[in-house]
Amino acid sequence: MTSAVTITRHGGTGGTTAVAARARQVVKAYGSGETRVVALDHVDVDIARGQFTAIMGPSGSGKSTLMHCLAGLDSVTSGQIYLDETEITGLKDKKLTKLRRDRIGFIFQAFNLLPTLNALENITLPMDIAGRKPDKAWLGRVVDTVGLADRLKHRPTQLSGGQQQRVAVARALAARPEIIFGDEPTGNLDSRAGAEVLGFLRRSVDELGQTIVMVTHDPVAASYADRVLYLADGRIVDEMYEPTADTVLDRMKDFDARGRTS
Amino acid sequence: MTVMKTSLRNFFAHKGRMALSAVAVLLSVAFVCGTLVFTDTMSTTFDKLFAATASDVTVSAKGASDTGETQSDNGKPPTMPASVLEEVRGADGVKSAEGTVFSTSVTVVDGDKDSLSPTSGGPTIVGNWNANDARTMEISSGQAPRGPEQVMVDADTAEKHHLKLGDEIGVITAVGTHRAKISGIAEFQVTNPGAAIFYLDTKTAQESLLGEKGVYTNVNVTAASGLSDAQVKKNVTAALGGGYQVQTAKEVADANAKDVGDFMGVMKYAMLGFAGIAFLVGIFLIINTFSMLVAQRTREIGLMRAIGSSRRQVNRSVLVEALLLGVFGSVLGVGAGVGLAIGLMKLMSATGMNLSTDDLTVAWTTPVVGLLLGIVVTVLAAYLPARRAGKVSPMAALRDSGAPAGARSGVVRAVLGLALTGAGGYGLYLASQADKASEGSVWLGGGVVLSLIGFVVIGPVLAGAVVRVLGAVVLRIFGPVGRMAERNALRNPRRTGATGAALMIGLALVACLSVVGSSMVASATDQLDKTVGTDFIIQSDSGQLITPQAVEAAKSAEDLTGVTEYKWTQADFTTPDGKTLKDTAITAADPSYATDLRTETVAGDLKDAYKPDSMSVHEKFAKDHDITLGSTITVAFKDGRAPARLTVRAITSSDVVIDAGAMYTSIDTMATYVPAEKMPLDMLLFASAKDGQEAAAYTSLKAALDDYPQYTVRDQTDYKEALKDQIGQLLNMIYGLLALAIIVAVLGVVNTLALSVVERTREIGLMRAIGLSRRQLRRMIRLESVVIALFGALLGLGLGMGWGATAQQLLALEGLKVLDIPWPTITAVFLGSAFVGLFAALVPAFRAGRMNVLNAIATE
Repeated sequence: MTSAVTITRHGGTGGTTAVAARARQVVKAYGSGETRVVALDHVDVDIARGQFTAIMGPSGSGKSTLMHCLAGLDSVTSGQIYLDETEITGLKDKKLTKLRRDRIGFIFQAFNLLPTLNALENITLPMDIAGRKPDKAWLGRVVDTVGLADRLKHRPTQLSGGQQQRVAVARALAARPEIIFGDEPTGNLDSRAGAEVLGFLRRSVDELGQTIVMVTHDPVAASYADRVLYLADGRIVDEMYEPTADTVLDRMKDFDARGRTS
Repeated sequence: MTVMKTSLRNFFAHKGRMALSAVAVLLSVAFVCGTLVFTDTMSTTFDKLFAATASDVTVSAKGASDTGETQSDNGKPPTMPASVLEEVRGADGVKSAEGTVFSTSVTVVDGDKDSLSPTSGGPTIVGNWNANDARTMEISSGQAPRGPEQVMVDADTAEKHHLKLGDEIGVITAVGTHRAKISGIAEFQVTNPGAAIFYLDTKTAQESLLGEKGVYTNVNVTAASGLSDAQVKKNVTAALGGGYQVQTAKEVADANAKDVGDFMGVMKYAMLGFAGIAFLVGIFLIINTFSMLVAQRTREIGLMRAIGSSRRQVNRSVLVEALLLGVFGSVLGVGAGVGLAIGLMKLMSATGMNLSTDDLTVAWTTPVVGLLLGIVVTVLAAYLPARRAGKVSPMAALRDSGAPAGARSGVVRAVLGLALTGAGGYGLYLASQADKASEGSVWLGGGVVLSLIGFVVIGPVLAGAVVRVLGAVVLRIFGPVGRMAERNALRNPRRTGATGAALMIGLALVACLSVVGSSMVASATDQLDKTVGTDFIIQSDSGQLITPQAVEAAKSAEDLTGVTEYKWTQADFTTPDGKTLKDTAITAADPSYATDLRTETVAGDLKDAYKPDSMSVHEKFAKDHDITLGSTITVAFKDGRAPARLTVRAITSSDVVIDAGAMYTSIDTMATYVPAEKMPLDMLLFASAKDGQEAAAYTSLKAALDDYPQYTVRDQTDYKEALKDQIGQLLNMIYGLLALAIIVAVLGVVNTLALSVVERTREIGLMRAIGLSRRQLRRMIRLESVVIALFGALLGLGLGMGWGATAQQLLALEGLKVLDIPWPTITAVFLGSAFVGLFAALVPAFRAGRMNVLNAIATE
């Protein structure tokens, strides 16, 4: 199964489509000739609006590459990627940058914050760069949601790892992007801080209607999602709705076993 | 051995990051070696020239200088009668002897009355064509001069002025103007560094240069084979008795070489001084580079320590890297130095000074000095960062990133910096209050050095405050990008401080000199306005004295009320305190000079100093030698018949710029004691126009002196302009030499930014990912660069203006009364620094913009 296009195109909220982002026949290959490595092999995927999607898979499966391509950080070898109705494949750097700035939010595994800026300045950075004034009410709500109201004037070095990731979540949410991409956002955190951050992500989907795509290899993290996509060898091999940590783990064991026998 | 291996690997792994430090070492070493090679080559050229042109033994008239130089105050070289030639010929061991005539007190003009004298400062020599010259020169076209109508010219001069056979030229001397046509062109067989040489036949040379028949200036002796020059010298001396100066070829060459050496010594040490400043600036760059490398490698060093490397090993591994950098930069620098010397020689040729690369002289000491200097300075500069590396704890391996600098060192730094700056400021204050120049200059020197070191030490502390202010003024316009640039400049104050300090040094010197220079111009102008009563000043810019014919010509100009002659000579003074002062300068002028230049007097009337057997002295001199009005000074004029006893009738103020320290007497008084033929020629002429006829007089005076291109007539406006130009040229030359230090400082800014960009790769990646455009990123880096440059400029200009103002206060004792701060220059330098900042950020910003976002995020 290399396709995860299973969601109806219409019927979402308001006038926008129910699909926030989609990939069509996306190929990402490195090198050429004998050294050619295919990271993504004709992938089709639709990311549902207002849902929390997790991408899982073993190391080297292409899950990070898929996320980078969907987010406009990396270019594709062939195929198309759309953010809402905008095709982003083939866009020039200038347009891509603007797109990332205005329509996408990011949470990385580590090093999410600029050390020279305090928490609040980090949160509003994308809007500052764009020269936009942040929506005060929304900003207050986001800050409250992630529970950082008393830490806003702190520099990143004065915050714990969990707090830093919460600032990163707040930054991603503050600009009200169409979609937030997380690259192992809890990878560097202990389980309690990780649970906290994942809880906020879940709530932002439920309460704020945010669309989130998260790459992870942690079944517990994946269990916070609405839908889990499994990648292996650059293809989407399976998907699961309403996952729990146990079902995810079982499915992964299943893949491992299949991988060994085949 | 492992230490060596890690150092080597690190060095080569980070060679890109070392590149700019290497360039800084290279430039400084190249400047030192270039200077040495260039001056050595000049010495070689002159040595060869003198060796080639000196005859075995030379006899000169008594009054000639050690080098046989025949310029003299009265415009005519000292001579000897033809009988001397016969006597020399009769001496034992003399194979042949030939009388020569030559003079450097000449000006040669072409048919359009334009001067043919070298513009490079080389001499103009006119002489008789003799066997000795024929040895070193070859007639390339035409023939040697025969008869009064003919003259031969050297090929370099002919080429430069497009002279050809048959062209008319005029030889202007105190005797008169002699006109002749070019009969031949002769080419030097050795390199002629820049003299313009003209040949006449012997009889014509005697008449037109000396105004006498049958006399010579020198006799060139060729020694018989088998006899040493010294022996022949002895024989010739014995034959002539004591009345003449007899020198061997070696003595003449040595005396010449010493003359040239003295001049070149000054040039050499001045240039080496500037190289030293460049080295000083380079040190900051090297310290920054190694500090950043050590900081970036903190975890690695921690690991080394954790697995058992000693502090010393870590320390040494950094120093070994510095050693490699020093060797690498210095070796290239020595090579570049030779190239620089060749370039400089080519440049000199363009200005009329010929130096041949055949004579290129690289003494063995040159590469040794260059290498040693480069290596020692580099290793010393890396010592502090190396020590810091040694202090990295093994725990650093486990931590995420390098620990920030301790706050305690900041306090120590601030206290030490303030103490040094305070001491420097106090020194400057003392200098400004000093009442003796000698004492004040010690305070000034100490104050300058201490305040400079103080500023360097306190730089990182100041960086915080200054960058914030600059940020508020300049960066706010640029919104969040400006704010991030400000924060970036602030995040490592030590680095910003050191980078800015490097720029500060060069700019402080520029500011100081510009203040002193413009104060000089302002003070002189002020005094010209207040004291100069005459309308026109006539002088030669190349130091030629004014011939009697030219004086007559000037006097013949229309619409003048009078012309004042001004002579300068030396005399032995015997003062009332019983001391005898040898070779003291004294000015002899026409009485009208008292109104031409209304020098203030503290006692008596200056006009009275021009009465018979009277003189004036200046205040300081009077104080030092117990002189009051009416005192008598015994003045033995140079070449005088008998000592004069002159009465002091005026004491002038010492507080003057124009004619500072001059003591006046009248030409008539001097003429009573000095025979007419020994009277020096006029050094200056002053002319005053009839009321309302200034313009006509100016035109008339210029026309009257048209035949004498060596003299310039200036009215007060032109004179002020010339003064300004002169000081401006000097300043420009110094700025040019300081440019090296400033270039190294700019490299330092580039270096800091480039390394910062590398250091902040992940940050940049993150910002790009969340939407910072390439343009914004580049702007952010440029703004940081501009802020650093402006910080350096602000400190440098402030410090330099302080120094300059103090120097002016001190020099006020010498008449530099007016403080003039050249705001246009200061503003231009400040704004220029902003552009320098933009320029320095060009490459780092470009590279940051090109960074791949994904790679940047992935960088560990």
